[in-house]
Amino acid sequence: MSLLSFFVALVAFVVLAPVAGCLLAGADRVISARLQGRVGPPLLQPWHDVRKLMAKEDRALNGFIGFYVLLALLFAILAGAFFFAGGNFLLVVFVLTLSTLFFIVAAFSARSPYAEIGAEREIIQVASYEPMVILLTVSFFLATGSFDISAVLSRSVPLVVSLPLVFVGLLFILTIKLRKSPFDLSYSHHAHQELVKGITTEMSGRTLAMVEVMHWYENILFLGWVALFFAWASPVAIPVALVAVLLVYFLEILIDNNFARVKWQAMFTWSWVVTFACCLINAFVLIVFF
Amino acid sequence: MEIIGFLVIFPLLTAASLLVVRSERARTAIVVAAAAIIMVASLALAVLYLPAEPVFFSLNAVLGGDSAGATDAASAAASTAASHSAALAPATLVTWFLTAVSALICLYIIVKAARANKPFALFLAGLQLVLVLVLEFGVGHEVAISYDLYIDRFSVIMALIIGIIGSGICIYALGYMRDFQHHAEAHPARPVPGSPDAPALATAAAGTPAAPARPQDRRPLFFALMFLFLSAMFLIVFANNLSWLLSGWEVTTVCSFALIGYTRTREASDNAFRQIVMNLAGGLAFCVGLIILVGSAGVLELDKLIAIGSTAEGLPLVALPVMLVAFAGFTKAAQMPFQSWLLGAMVAPTPTSALLHSSTMVKAGVFILIKLAPTFGWNASGMTVVLVGGLTFLFCSGLAISQSNAKRVLAYSTVANLGLIVACAGVGTPEAVWAAIFLLLFHAAAKSLLFCCVGTAEHHIGSRDIEDMDQLFVRMPRLALLMALGMLAMFIAPFGMLVSKWATIVSLVDTGNITLLFILAFGSALTFMFWAKWLGKVLAVAQGGANLEKTVHPSEWFALALMAVLSVGCSLGFPWLSQLVVEPYLGGVAAALGDAAPITAAALAAAAGDASATIGSPATNSAWSPTADFAAISFDNLLIMALLAAVLLLVLLFVLLQSRRTTGNDTVYLSGVGRDFEKRDFINSLSGTSSAEQRNWYMQAWFGESVLTPVANIVCIAIVIIGFALVYLGIGGVL
Repeated sequence: MSLLSFFVALVAFVVLAPVAGCLLAGADRVISARLQGRVGPPLLQPWHDVRKLMAKEDRALNGFIGFYVLLALLFAILAGAFFFAGGNFLLVVFVLTLSTLFFIVAAFSARSPYAEIGAEREIIQVASYEPMVILLTVSFFLATGSFDISAVLSRSVPLVVSLPLVFVGLLFILTIKLRKSPFDLSYSHHAHQELVKGITTEMSGRTLAMVEVMHWYENILFLGWVALFFAWASPVAIPVALVAVLLVYFLEILIDNNFARVKWQAMFTWSWVVTFACCLINAFVLIVFF
Repeated sequence: MEIIGFLVIFPLLTAASLLVVRSERARTAIVVAAAAIIMVASLALAVLYLPAEPVFFSLNAVLGGDSAGATDAASAAASTAASHSAALAPATLVTWFLTAVSALICLYIIVKAARANKPFALFLAGLQLVLVLVLEFGVGHEVAISYDLYIDRFSVIMALIIGIIGSGICIYALGYMRDFQHHAEAHPARPVPGSPDAPALATAAAGTPAAPARPQDRRPLFFALMFLFLSAMFLIVFANNLSWLLSGWEVTTVCSFALIGYTRTREASDNAFRQIVMNLAGGLAFCVGLIILVGSAGVLELDKLIAIGSTAEGLPLVALPVMLVAFAGFTKAAQMPFQSWLLGAMVAPTPTSALLHSSTMVKAGVFILIKLAPTFGWNASGMTVVLVGGLTFLFCSGLAISQSNAKRVLAYSTVANLGLIVACAGVGTPEAVWAAIFLLLFHAAAKSLLFCCVGTAEHHIGSRDIEDMDQLFVRMPRLALLMALGMLAMFIAPFGMLVSKWATIVSLVDTGNITLLFILAFGSALTFMFWAKWLGKVLAVAQGGANLEKTVHPSEWFALALMAVLSVGCSLGFPWLSQLVVEPYLGGVAAALGDAAPITAAALAAAAGDASATIGSPATNSAWSPTADFAAISFDNLLIMALLAAVLLLVLLFVLLQSRRTTGNDTVYLSGVGRDFEKRDFINSLSGTSSAEQRNWYMQAWFGESVLTPVANIVCIAIVIIGFALVYLGIGGVL
């Protein structure tokens, strides 16, 4: 990852990711509505929501909540830039963890009963998906011989061929990362299964707008991880990866609309079991047969 | 050479003077001056020896007039030969003195154990006494020692940790122990009804039944022990003569015994004896290991042991001694199943915990394991070390989740991180050792900071429970942010600890160690859980708390600031520390191993009883090629991390500057029935007032001690037993 590629990726990610993320969120709401037999909002509704939030009066329990959320947003952007610049996968993961931590601290700093429950649940979510994320980077290394994201572009076959089970594991925890039911414990878009507004209970106006935008950035980054599995040294890879990403996101929408939120015990246990089984078997196959 | 002598002897003299001085003023002056001198001396050592290649010293050669030091092997050997004729050679005198120290320690423990009616400790100490004498006057007497002492870059790093962090904790203890003494005098310890209390208290109570016993001021002893500890640690990190190292090892054991039992309550006494039993078992293993080593390979020096052990031909000769010393390392580093002594050590005053956890005691355990790393790898002892360390990391990270007592969380986190260091040492490649050294360094800085923060918080908010640290940020803003810094330094990128963990992952992937990778991945997730929820509590903001930190003693602020600067400074300087210090060290080790053929050949010949055999050029542990790339993470990525650390530092400074501005223009959401929003009171269904309470999650059913500890202990005991069996039977020498 050269300095130049980093800055190019940073600018591109800062500008393009929210556009794509916003459209994705809009499409998500339209499709979800159709699945539920409603007409749903227009495609650009998420954009209108954020604009409206930005215009709201600034009310907050203290100044720290907004500051920590801003940091979370900035580190999420930084992680995305490292990723799309083809940098070190572990670096991406660690910077993203830093972003999540600041989001959690923001909720705690409000010292609100509801936000604290959300924060504790967010911590459980991290503990549920973190092993898979670390083993994802490890499996990536086992397949490509490098931790650099860019290594995937010099392969002759897509990553999913070498790491099919790791891909399944990623799909499983992706539901947590994308904040989709049944694993949307800390922060849900489904009002009927949420405690007030979860981890964002004490966030409003601009702060909440930042959370929404951070969500757009994060979603694009996570879909980038999905795309990673369908990338190889060929121009055909671009449409293939794009189709794969859209299919995966559609699958997540289906899951989101068909499952009710589970308890943390189920999420934690199943995440760990799926992670362990998928990664172990895949690593074993890779080491023994390749 | 002189500077080693100074670093070992000066704290000793300080300890002696502190024992005599009773006035608090004089004690403060002595402690501050001595700590400053030790810090300066450690820095001087670093300036002199960090740029230099490893230097070995023979005491006889140096004191015998060879002013150039004993870098010339021939002259050293000659003077060693001479020393055998003259019994009063300096090195012999030191050996005798240290043997006497070891013997006295055993006698001391025997007396203590007899008085406290602890037969097992008494038995172990008696056995130890016999073995120490056997080692010295039986088998070890005839072994020629070429070099008694050495300095390499790793021992310089250790000396800096001991000299700066250790001394810093001694300064911290000045203020802390004053509060502690005041508290003890205000609330004299009550003997537990129906149970015999510690002898001193019992007699005091019996002597003056009417008046409550005014607790004796035992601070002179406390500070003397702290400095004695430093002296012993310096001996451990510089001794090449293994019997000297063993003496230092025993001194640290007995020092922590006395420090844990400091308050003389029944609990303290019990925990002190638990510590001594476990560490005596380790000391015994060490001693037996040395006796076997002399018998099998005919050496009693650390560098020779490593050189022989790192070759395929030599390993069988020293496999059992290495395993025994590794076992001693497990006990000292409180690896499972020995973690209970370190948790029990929490009854001691907090500076003791800070010292035990950061710069001394447990660090001696991991130090010796890291030194032995070239002998580990894909062999039976290496796999045992990896598995014990790795499982300790996993289980203790889980156990830490279940604790609400801040000191116990820190203790489990220490054991877990030591487990990671131990596992890295067991992997045995240069990259893994690179990670282990950095884990050790960053852990020392961050953990001492955290312990001192918890100690100070405890004296000002009256509790060490994490739930009571709710909104510490409002009540003690500076302290809370220092604590937050310590926590961030422990578990989150871009600080050194996590970057070292990153390096661990890289080194494990390179060696294909899938088992440990899985352990690490799952354990790290648990680590995040217990730190994040604590951090959240501390940084919670509510309005209108009184500021409690105006009465914090200046010596405590000084020590806290010192440790914070060290934590951050090492993270910022990480790329250069790696490039200029640790990588050259690893290169030096690799080069030394490459040159080790004659030593191994000689040992093999000695074992075969054939003195004339000089054949054999053993292949060294292949990972340690002098041309290997020693850094697990590229300089660029380290630089990115250092930059991010600087950013986070600015963030914390900004939060500190804003710390007074805790009020906003909104109230907390209480479902529309709030009454007092600051207290989170709301109108309940009977129109009365209820308060919304939110505790952190501790998940006892999943991570409680009663759930995890028995499993972990059984698994780890089984691994150690299997490891010993494999090594003893000679199976799996090199897998």
